[in-house]
Amino acid sequence: MKAVFKRELRSYFASPIGYVCVAALLALYGYIYFQVMASGSSSNISALYASMFTFSMMVIPIITMRSMSDDQKNKTDQALLTAPVSTISIVTGKFLACFFVYFLASTLGLLPAVALTFFASPPWGMILGNYLGTLLYGGAMVAIGVFVSSLTVSQIIAAIVTFAISVFLMMIDALTASLSNTWLSAVVSWLSFQSRYTPFTQGLFNIPSAVFFLSVMAVFIFLTARKVESRRWS
Amino acid sequence: MVEVKNLTKRYGLNMALKDVSFKVEEGTIVGFLGPNGAGKSTTMNIITGYLSATSGEVTVSGKNILDEPNEVKKLIGYLPEQPPLYLDMTVREYLNFMYDLKKVKQPRGKHIKEICEITKIEDVYNRLIGNLSKGYRQRVGIAQALLGNPPVLILDEPTVGLDPKQIIEIRNLITNLGRNHTVILSSHILSEIQAVCQRILVINHGQIVADGATDTLAHDLSSDHRLVLRVEAPEREAVHAIRELEHVTEVQSFGEKEPGIFELSVEADPNADVRKPLFALLARKGWPMMSLKNMDLTLEDLFLQLTSTDNVYQEEKEQEQQAAASVQIGPEGMVEVSEPSAEEVTEEKEEKGEEEA
Repeated sequence: MKAVFKRELRSYFASPIGYVCVAALLALYGYIYFQVMASGSSSNISALYASMFTFSMMVIPIITMRSMSDDQKNKTDQALLTAPVSTISIVTGKFLACFFVYFLASTLGLLPAVALTFFASPPWGMILGNYLGTLLYGGAMVAIGVFVSSLTVSQIIAAIVTFAISVFLMMIDALTASLSNTWLSAVVSWLSFQSRYTPFTQGLFNIPSAVFFLSVMAVFIFLTARKVESRRWS
Repeated sequence: MVEVKNLTKRYGLNMALKDVSFKVEEGTIVGFLGPNGAGKSTTMNIITGYLSATSGEVTVSGKNILDEPNEVKKLIGYLPEQPPLYLDMTVREYLNFMYDLKKVKQPRGKHIKEICEITKIEDVYNRLIGNLSKGYRQRVGIAQALLGNPPVLILDEPTVGLDPKQIIEIRNLITNLGRNHTVILSSHILSEIQAVCQRILVINHGQIVADGATDTLAHDLSSDHRLVLRVEAPEREAVHAIRELEHVTEVQSFGEKEPGIFELSVEADPNADVRKPLFALLARKGWPMMSLKNMDLTLEDLFLQLTSTDNVYQEEKEQEQQAAASVQIGPEGMVEVSEPSAEEVTEEKEEKGEEEA
């Protein structure tokens, strides 16, 4: 797991992908901070993170698109799968590497808030809540992206499908309003990433939501491992 | 060391492997020979655990690949058909990564250095794999398989893409490795198999069609055991004298090929070697022997015969099978004739017919 994690992470930063993804997210963080603080003269840090929610959604598919598909395409999966390690640890290593890129961007995204402490006292509770929410939401999206990437050898398809899924998960809220069946709408809203994410933006550490996101990660890592193993039987 | 039992692999309706069984002893180099798409790579992928068989089992030093995958994988070094290289890494980074991935116990620096020396990749050690030539990539692939010094090496077409000098080097390397490793290698280059392997498995359409020691396989599977002799002697007399020899069944003259020199074909019992008595006879008579040639099949003829699907060859093959069935096990005990009998062949044809129906 460690070997795979190290290799994957190295490959993100040996190619421009890692830098571009982190830089793009950081630039947006910086810009929106500026917009919210200076132009909007607002201290509502959650407005910043609400925008970042959308941007992360766009960047994560780019981070995860190559994770599994590349190995399959270049046949390097033969080295991984014939090595004495379990499939789940290979997949976990890959997931962690993708997540780390995202983690790096999110954590560096706290810099503006840190800078602010020299001049004022920003609401750290709320900032950390948002930060944690971003990580949890991002982790779940990364796991889904890694899974989608294992379904195809094409990076482009992996990116587009992951993007479509994340847009769908964001819009699912709107769907609940139009559903007449209360039972169905309850299920849909239960699945909604946005409604799970919202408590964090208020600076609350919502345990059910955290468990929800962590479970999504676990389920999709597991599914990816099953998918990779199923290839042996096809 | 490596035992494969009744391996069958089905891709949808397509049978990639049909009931393949063989056993490889420790310290032997076995060559897997067969045309493209015969099932060589599939077999190798199953042994290494990359694919799973539809039925059948693989054990490596007594351990089953399905029950103890990680234990078995530790025992095997595998070079797939396309070396599994990360093009964005340098050779150094890649070998270190594979070292970690394979959980190798040997001291890192020393072990990797040794392997680089063996495979002669020291001078590209710090270069990006993506910038290496095909030959060097192949060698890095071999180096990767050697990491951890596994007792079993499985090499899928190890010399593809190498120049003639490199091919010789790699063959020597494999021969050396064969002294203390069990090596299974595949190739469709006959001379290579002949040069390196002690035993040959010929596979065609997912079935093993021949299995035997490299030196004797062609002889054992030949139906033609004629010797062609050129001798400076009176034609008639020579034919009569040779016919009198024990085990000789038929002598024919092909006529005068050079002034005073006749070409004779000598047929003998399949298991008898008449060369010595023949030589003694000619010496006694004072007839100089100008040449003596064995008409056994070459490995190439054999390969074409075994793997051809033409009907003409099919008939020949069936004759061959009968001939092969009568072959006794040689002194080395290496000759195992695993040809399906004519009955089995027809049974399979019926099965095929049913499937199609």
